Amino acid sequence: MTLSTTAKEAIKTALAMTLAYGITLSLGWENPYWAGFSVAFISLATSGQSIYKGAMRMLGTMMAGAVSLAIIALAPQNRWLSMVLLSAWMGFCTYMTWGEKHPFFWAYSGYVCAVVTMAAGLDPVNAFNTAVLRSQETGLGILVYSLVAILLWPINSRPAFEAAGAKLASTQQQLLKTSLEWMAGQRNPETAQQLRTQEIQEQNQFGQLLAAAATDSYEIRELQNQWRLYQRQVGQLSEAMERWRENLAGEQSLDMPSLMPNLSGFADELDSRLTQIGCMLANQEPGQHPSAVDPEIDEARFRHLSHFQKAALTAIRVQLRRIESLTRSLFHSACYIKGFCPAAPELGDKPPVIKEFGLPDPDRMAGVVRVMLIMWIAWLANIYIDSIPGGADGVAVASTFGLVIAGMPQVSVWLMFLPAFISTLLAGLIYILVMPQLSSFLGLGVLLFVVTFAIYYLLAAPRLNVAKLLAISMFMTVISVSNHQVYSFMVVYTVALMLLVVFIVLAVTAYFPLDLRPRQSFLRLLGRYFRSCEYLMDALSQDPQKRETRVVRLRKTFHMQEISSLPTKLGAWSKVLSKKALPGTSPEQITTVVTALQGLSYRMQQLIEDRGHPQAPFLVQELRSDVAAWRTKMTDAFGCLAGEPSVANQNRFHTELTGIMDHMNMRIEETVDKAAGHISDQDGENFYRLMSAYRGVSDALAVYVASAGAIDWAPWREERFY
Amino acid sequence: MNMIPHELAIGGVFLPPLLVAFTLGAIAAILTAHLLNRIRLSRYFFYPPLVVLALVIIYTVLLGTFVVRI
Repeated sequence: MTLSTTAKEAIKTALAMTLAYGITLSLGWENPYWAGFSVAFISLATSGQSIYKGAMRMLGTMMAGAVSLAIIALAPQNRWLSMVLLSAWMGFCTYMTWGEKHPFFWAYSGYVCAVVTMAAGLDPVNAFNTAVLRSQETGLGILVYSLVAILLWPINSRPAFEAAGAKLASTQQQLLKTSLEWMAGQRNPETAQQLRTQEIQEQNQFGQLLAAAATDSYEIRELQNQWRLYQRQVGQLSEAMERWRENLAGEQSLDMPSLMPNLSGFADELDSRLTQIGCMLANQEPGQHPSAVDPEIDEARFRHLSHFQKAALTAIRVQLRRIESLTRSLFHSACYIKGFCPAAPELGDKPPVIKEFGLPDPDRMAGVVRVMLIMWIAWLANIYIDSIPGGADGVAVASTFGLVIAGMPQVSVWLMFLPAFISTLLAGLIYILVMPQLSSFLGLGVLLFVVTFAIYYLLAAPRLNVAKLLAISMFMTVISVSNHQVYSFMVVYTVALMLLVVFIVLAVTAYFPLDLRPRQSFLRLLGRYFRSCEYLMDALSQDPQKRETRVVRLRKTFHMQEISSLPTKLGAWSKVLSKKALPGTSPEQITTVVTALQGLSYRMQQLIEDRGHPQAPFLVQELRSDVAAWRTKMTDAFGCLAGEPSVANQNRFHTELTGIMDHMNMRIEETVDKAAGHISDQDGENFYRLMSAYRGVSDALAVYVASAGAIDWAPWREERFY
Repeated sequence: MNMIPHELAIGGVFLPPLLVAFTLGAIAAILTAHLLNRIRLSRYFFYPPLVVLALVIIYTVLLGTFVVRI
């Protein structure tokens, strides 16, 4: 009989759980469930992922131990100051947890600190012992699970990582091929959006598996800097292709195969490069190396285009050159990593690091406020409500749940309550009916093994991950194993009521002070998006060659971050919008709006980048007033959209916008004729790129206005209870 | 009339009357909110979540005073 992977993983976790409890009890340590928690939370698909998460958990626990001891030492006998310090630390950890760097470390640093400080607060004399005990039991759980994962059916991360790399390369190849065929007018990229979603998911998976494989595979660890460079290049290629597709979408009138005579050869070369990358990642030697290729433009046909068409074609060529350069770099990286090329590629400049503290993300800050509020409500309830179920433990549990939900406000609190409550009741039945029948660790070990196996086997599907972790946590909390085991119905009863209180606190903070209902959140984010667009558009009036002050630079970076991140956040909220509450709005319409916003973001980013390139003073001088008129129109439109998600009179808006663009086209024609022979090729290219970017923003806004105009926004504003 | 707080016993387990009153109050408030949503009366409230909170308190106090007797 062959066991399935799910069964093997469940057996590994169950065995590690039983061993961790057995060792803790035999050593006479209190709270053996702390070791059990470690096992439960680091159990992941591959040993590398588990060890990486385990290491983060261990470091986070040690950091939390040190911070909780510092809090107790700084505020002995002063519960208010202690709570101020603890909530500030929890807020900081929440902010960091939902960032990009070491989320597990910060999550454990936060919630273990709450657990230790709350436990030690009742018994400050033993605070040091509590912190040390927590650390050593966490370490024990990690050690036991790691040994079991390494010795029993070990699953190395490397094959999974390499498979993920090959799959990602294949998806990028398909996406590039589909888009190039679309450009050549062969077919409509119906599958492009699907491939793009797949590409994003595969990039995330690739990043996670890279961290895991660097932990459990020497070969990957040795070359991890090159792998990280490869990962960065894949991300850059993905973004470059997305921007290029956005440009293509607006230029369907151009006959690309005749304007770019070598388009077919160019497409074949890029396709071949990505095919070779896939082969190399599958350890096959590349059949051919990249050859020089450049997307050429037929000058004779180019001369007959309008200026805006020339601008669009120039911008498309610049983007194709960027894609060509990135695929070449990607090829060299893969070639070196797999040992087919002797020379290491340049590691290049790391992407600019934006100082996070200078530019806080408003949604992460809202999460921080929510966690701190949850802690304070739970704390005040603990002080002022006599015999509240759970007491100080309730504050730690509320803080932990708060930290988890702070970064995913879309998830309804009540969706988590049901699995937690059912798990508590089932664990209560085991605790009351089964455990009193056990008389030795043999019986307890079998029970721990069977229940852990059942939970990890039955709830193995990724979508049931939260339910699985809640079930195992509640089971361990309710059975409260110790060397001096006592059985009391009050344990189950207290845990169940504590959960009820905790979830009421969590639910209250979903409405106060920030309303996190899906419709309201969607409209709020939409408003924020257009306010950022308005600011950035207004900021275009400043001379790009003039040095900006630090405050202006920070504000600009903040708004740039907003427009690049908000479409993704809006996409997440759009999935939880109630269809019943919004008659007249279909999910497809909302998806179209979010896609239009994503397109607008790319166009705005392109405009800001292209505006940084030097322009011929003559052209700038001549077109200053036309560009200013366009900018004023766009700033006003963004300002209006920040208040209302759609334009009141769409036809008028389109007519005005088209009028401005036509006038600008005419003025460009006059100006370019006047400047003929006085501007260099580079100035000409920069000018056309900028013109293309202006038109791109206009077109993208028109697409948004059309998609938003199809939605009936009146029901969105109507107040409802849910 | 006996106004001494009394507990509810279910299968030998004693539950505090406030818990019972609160649970019933919360259920009644959710049902009321559901009804107000359905007949579109919710649009007359400035901030419906506050109304739910108020309803929970009102129902808990009423049920606690007249039915469960806290």
